[in-house]
Amino acid sequence: METDPEPNFDDIVNAYYQPLYRFGYSLAKNEHEASDLVQQAFYIYAEKGAAIRDKRKVKSWLFTTLYRDFLGRRRKDRRMDHYEPEVLELVGGSEEPHVRRTMDGHFAVEALQEVDAVYREPLSLFYLKDFSYKEIAEVLDVPIGTVMSRLSRGKVQIREIFKRKATESNDNLI
Amino acid sequence: MTREEAQNILQVCRPGNIEDFNDPLIAEAMALLEKDSELQVWFEAEQAFDRQMAAELEAITPPADLKASLLAGMRAHSLQAEGSSTEAAVVATTRAAWWRNPWIGIAALFVFMTVIMNQPSDPAANVRVAQASAVPGVLQFLSDRIDSLQPDSFDKRDAQFEALQSFLVSHGKPSPATQPPCFNKMQTIGCVTFDYGDTKLSMICFNNGSLYHLSTAAKVNFPDELPDEPQTYQLKDKAFKLWIEGDQVRIITVHGTEEDIPEFI
Repeated sequence: METDPEPNFDDIVNAYYQPLYRFGYSLAKNEHEASDLVQQAFYIYAEKGAAIRDKRKVKSWLFTTLYRDFLGRRRKDRRMDHYEPEVLELVGGSEEPHVRRTMDGHFAVEALQEVDAVYREPLSLFYLKDFSYKEIAEVLDVPIGTVMSRLSRGKVQIREIFKRKATESNDNLI
Repeated sequence: MTREEAQNILQVCRPGNIEDFNDPLIAEAMALLEKDSELQVWFEAEQAFDRQMAAELEAITPPADLKASLLAGMRAHSLQAEGSSTEAAVVATTRAAWWRNPWIGIAALFVFMTVIMNQPSDPAANVRVAQASAVPGVLQFLSDRIDSLQPDSFDKRDAQFEALQSFLVSHGKPSPATQPPCFNKMQTIGCVTFDYGDTKLSMICFNNGSLYHLSTAAKVNFPDELPDEPQTYQLKDKAFKLWIEGDQVRIITVHGTEEDIPEFI
């Protein structure tokens, strides 16, 4: 009997590509980059995934890989000439939040973007519902206590943001 | 366990998640719900909000072709791996060159990340660096944040300084009480806020052909030792001017040297 060289790959893609994409999107705020991040995470899995002995760790391994790839890209961007004023002025991101909201409805992502960066990643993982607080600590490589305090503070911030956005929406309607 | 402790623990409980309900720490906090009706009300509101946020995130759908392209790519990878095991290595490398290139890129990226990650990036590390070199740690912190600025990094984009001032005030973030005269004729791009340890920092970016950044923080409880007189610093490719104005710490950053800092007094 022949052995399938990647017997579980379809299952793994099916199980995780959507939450991985959502996490990537919450980090990058960009459909193309979110897709790239997911592709890279699975490519790296294809190369190195065989080394994961405990298959229960595949999920957190994939998210950790995507997260590190994202951080690496952001650090790499520092070498590029994003410092040019023209780039900051002209390349995307110029729509006001309420305009983007009507375009894509990604209200939660917009709210998350306004949360201080240090709280954003644990909050995104928490609201994806795929990770316990212990697993979030593992993915982000921070102590459990840190995750708990960041979630707590982050939730305070995001509630305030929601309240403000709701008020702004009402004002705009008026 | 006090109510506050229980709230802190219950905040990490995913709505309706049995696994979390069975977590020993969360279960202990949940036991208090039966005895504390206020806590029960708070928890229900918390879970309702979490459900709403989770539903919003779930509404984000990947591009329709993403799954297919993932599966196709991985099947190609499997075939290449099989080929590698049965053919001479040089033949496999030639046939699969199109596929291997991304991995070379990834390997290079990991090397790059390793080098970059050795640089201090958290505020505490910056403070330590500052203590060793007499340069306030906040400057390295700002330098790192400026380097990673993206067009969509701004909390608020506006060409008017006063609009950004108002935005920062309304969001409880430090706002420069006055606009340094040297910036009077410059247009602003936007503002962005950071946490420098426990200290809130705001930064307004100006464009005058070159970029200038005016950062503001409250002087009280500022973690770094601050100079009594306005002081200029050079960190790699950026020059900084730091001074105290009233109860605020103000910092101008430019890409260049001290000569590029506008006369601000």
